[in-house]
Amino acid sequence: MMGPLYKFGWFGFAYSLQLAVLIGFLFGFVLERAGFGNPRKLTAIFYLRDFAVLKVMFTAIVVCIIGLLYFSVFGWIDLARVYLLPTFIWPQIVGGLVLGVGFVMGGYCPTTSVVATVSGKLDGLVFIVGMMIGSVFFAEIFPLIEKFYVSGSKGAIRLPDVFGINSGIIAFMVCLIAVGAFWLAENVEQKFGDKDTLPRPSPKIKRSAVALLILLGLTLSVINPDRTISKSAVPEMKPKQRTKAVQKPAAASKTPASSGFKIIGDEGC
Amino acid sequence: MKERYSNPYVIGTVLGLILLFCFYTMGRGLGSSSSFARIATAGVNLVAPEHAKANGYYANYLRGGKSPLMSWLVFLTLGAALGGLFSAFISNRIKGEVARGPSIGVSIRLWLALGGGILSGFAARLARGCTSGQALTGASELAVGSWVFMLCIFIGAYGMAYFFKKEWL
Repeated sequence: MMGPLYKFGWFGFAYSLQLAVLIGFLFGFVLERAGFGNPRKLTAIFYLRDFAVLKVMFTAIVVCIIGLLYFSVFGWIDLARVYLLPTFIWPQIVGGLVLGVGFVMGGYCPTTSVVATVSGKLDGLVFIVGMMIGSVFFAEIFPLIEKFYVSGSKGAIRLPDVFGINSGIIAFMVCLIAVGAFWLAENVEQKFGDKDTLPRPSPKIKRSAVALLILLGLTLSVINPDRTISKSAVPEMKPKQRTKAVQKPAAASKTPASSGFKIIGDEGC
Repeated sequence: MKERYSNPYVIGTVLGLILLFCFYTMGRGLGSSSSFARIATAGVNLVAPEHAKANGYYANYLRGGKSPLMSWLVFLTLGAALGGLFSAFISNRIKGEVARGPSIGVSIRLWLALGGGILSGFAARLARGCTSGQALTGASELAVGSWVFMLCIFIGAYGMAYFFKKEWL
């Protein structure tokens, strides 16, 4: 079965909501397992004591990048039908900076505050109340900042478009950067962190994981997954888009397809 | 006091597979911050429906006359709450408390949590997503804005970390 299943009509909206609860359950479960219901664990990264946040996020991203591209190569998923987040560079820069300040001040990011709240932390609940106030504030002043909100619009643009190289090479580079970042993080936290709480994986497993990652990434960069993206997007439904592979024609058409339009598009976070 | 959590690389790998599963089934990624915007919108709509309809941002959540809560991400967040609860329960981590560093009082910590929440809620709307919906999901798709956004989160947090040292250490 070629994914995304929902977009190919394998199930309807009602079922998708049940699936949402299941996926959410797994999401919340792993976050709590990682200790992300604890703001001291989360913020320790900003004091160089524990880089769990970086490790979890970066590992997840690398696994998902590789997974998506291999799925595409094997014809298991039509990436042209995956909702790609559009880029609005200025609001994303300012939003990122402010969210970072909110993170270190409040101790959470949105999802982790949910996990904290259900594990009994009052500050997590207060953080959630704050997020709602912040959202209302945003909506109330929206007419004033609407121009800024849509500024720097670049459409559904990906790193391969910016650098002009195929997704496989970018994926491989991300793998290398991730390994480098992990290595650096571990050295720093050995110095500043509390050794009792840091994980101690066996060096053998670590070495094999790094080797596997690099092998997968290197293979991707050789087979150039972008070719398959456009090929798989071509036949029945989108004949118009038979353009050059590197251009990611599919990507550009994704934004309007989400029916959302410039304001929210519903599918963001 | 010293809590031992799961290995972050293992968790990261599993999280990556969950995200991949999400893409495979739904054609979209994870997210949560808009759930709170939607809950807030539902509240505003209840109190002042005229006002909500007139505002461009609320109106988008109210499109089609459906409840703003009938959204995929709201259900995902509900699931996340259940999953977090289950995990905390099985490892005996459910405890009523105000999490903070040893050298800060309860009330100031709660005020900071409120302030941080307000900033995050605002910022997530501005950037069209948070750490999960924008950074995690978008970065996996190699979306340019998401990578920039993620980098900026770290810049913002590291830049201000000094001022909140007492809150955590």
